[in-house]
Amino acid sequence: MDNLEEYIQKNRKAFDDESLDKDKLWSSISKELQPEKKVIPLWRKPLVRVAASVTVLLALSLTAALLFFQPQFDTEAGFASQELMEIDMHYQQLVTHQVNLIQQHPRLTDSDKEEFLSFMDELDAEYDLLKMEMQNNLDNERVLEAIVENYKKRIELIENLLRQINASKNETHDEGYLL
Amino acid sequence: MDNRLQFLEANVRITHQALIEQSKAGNSNAQYQLYSLYVDAMFNTAYRLLSSREDAEDILQESFVEAFKKLDSFRFESTFGAWLKRIVVNRSINFLRSKRMVFVAAEVSEEAISEESNDVNQPLQVEKIKKGIAQLPEGYRQIITLYLIEGYDHVEIGEILDISTSPSKSQYHRAKRKLIGIINEM
Repeated sequence: MDNLEEYIQKNRKAFDDESLDKDKLWSSISKELQPEKKVIPLWRKPLVRVAASVTVLLALSLTAALLFFQPQFDTEAGFASQELMEIDMHYQQLVTHQVNLIQQHPRLTDSDKEEFLSFMDELDAEYDLLKMEMQNNLDNERVLEAIVENYKKRIELIENLLRQINASKNETHDEGYLL
Repeated sequence: MDNRLQFLEANVRITHQALIEQSKAGNSNAQYQLYSLYVDAMFNTAYRLLSSREDAEDILQESFVEAFKKLDSFRFESTFGAWLKRIVVNRSINFLRSKRMVFVAAEVSEEAISEESNDVNQPLQVEKIKKGIAQLPEGYRQIITLYLIEGYDHVEIGEILDISTSPSKSQYHRAKRKLIGIINEM
């Protein structure tokens, strides 16, 4: 080793005498490092991609379902066939007619009417639930039977009430007759 | 090496190892600290090879980005500084190649290489040597820088320049003779 090699080896660090604007260079470096860290990994995760796909599919299915079922609701009250809709309309008219009769009956007190109508409200709520269930299970016979049963109960309830009113009317009449 | 120096070196290694592990995990604060520790030395290396501050800064930016992106491949088989310096040197040489500025002959020259000692005959100074190196032709300057200042041996220089060790040795000896001649004339 000659004196040049020896001198440089001993003083190697002294050759590093240039300096630069560290922070300026770092800002350029960190900019290049950021996008990969922050954006790409989220979409590279298979689970996130699956979740995103499922969300999009669900949103599309929901939109399609709403578009498909909404007109049916309005025109056919959510029923699958014309026949079912006619049965529903028949019972609905019957119930509405009889409820009107009760409400307009002069011999019933307000509290009697209120009690009766609260029962009817309960049956209405049950009916709404059954109708919603029917949207999910159009061919479910048990749901259909339950809807028919619901109407029968209402009519029965109304008929019983009317019978009681008429009975009391007859009783009063008889009493008057006897007197 | 005395015990105190060994202790200091071990301490530095442990500190650096923690910073490297945190940087691998994407901790930008650790990355900045690691960058701060090495940026000056790396800039000097790039500047010596490229002779241009702008080119050296560009190469440094690319090198640090590459280093942080492939930090997972650093397995502590060498020091982090050596691993990083190799990235800087390789990128600098590739840059010079792209500008057709790498002049080391791939073949062994027929010219006999004098092994005799050829000392500088006047007091040596860092500034004087730097000026001498700056006056060397491009190819000579590169090999003198890689061997004398950066401390690579001829096998490593062969890998960096993609040549065998013999041309590296012969080119180095010619470059050194030239450098000594320049310094002696100062």
